[in-house]
Amino acid sequence: MAYRKVCRFCEKSVAKIDYKDAKVLERYLTDRGKILPRRATGNCARHQRQLGTAIKRARYLALVPYIHGYYG
Amino acid sequence: MRDYEVVYIFKSALGTEDIDARLQRYHEKILGAEGAEITAVEHWGKRQLAYPIDRNDNGYYVVAQFSTEPDELPEYERMLKLDEELLRHLVVISEGELAVPSSMHDDEDESPRRRRDDDDDDDDDDVEDIDDEEDED
Repeated sequence: MAYRKVCRFCEKSVAKIDYKDAKVLERYLTDRGKILPRRATGNCARHQRQLGTAIKRARYLALVPYIHGYYG
Repeated sequence: MRDYEVVYIFKSALGTEDIDARLQRYHEKILGAEGAEITAVEHWGKRQLAYPIDRNDNGYYVVAQFSTEPDELPEYERMLKLDEELLRHLVVISEGELAVPSSMHDDEDESPRRRRDDDDDDDDDDVEDIDDEEDED
């Protein structure tokens, strides 16, 4: 299932993506902590935008890393 | 009147009473406006931070929702910034009920990409490696 063509958030009819739910957000990060592009997630535009905001908020709150595997 | 949601991250060394006292103090500031109220307070408790903040590896998370007039916020946020025991805080416009951060699509089927730390051994699980196109080159 490399490329999914249906938006998983639409499937579940999620109105707003929760920035506090690190478990979900982590699935949309690469193993380095970058946000996966839409072409890989298959999300619709609206949800991908929401996801971006949610991930950035979660990063600030240290729920999700900015860079994974970096110990400076 | 507007609904807000705030996440606090306290230093985990703080005792419960200290945290409660602080929450009390913060929330008094918000309640200045008429009709303002705290609608929910939820303690997540101690949690490991995804990256160290000021050399702290753990934080004590508290999520609260409240409704107040926007005018009340600047002073409130100023107070939060000045508190050195508070590692982080985030105030956003509330987007609905406070739900326990339970994953919406828990288990069932697998994620867009393989979960990071399910196992880090030789990967002959039946999940296809979709990461390959993305990284490594």
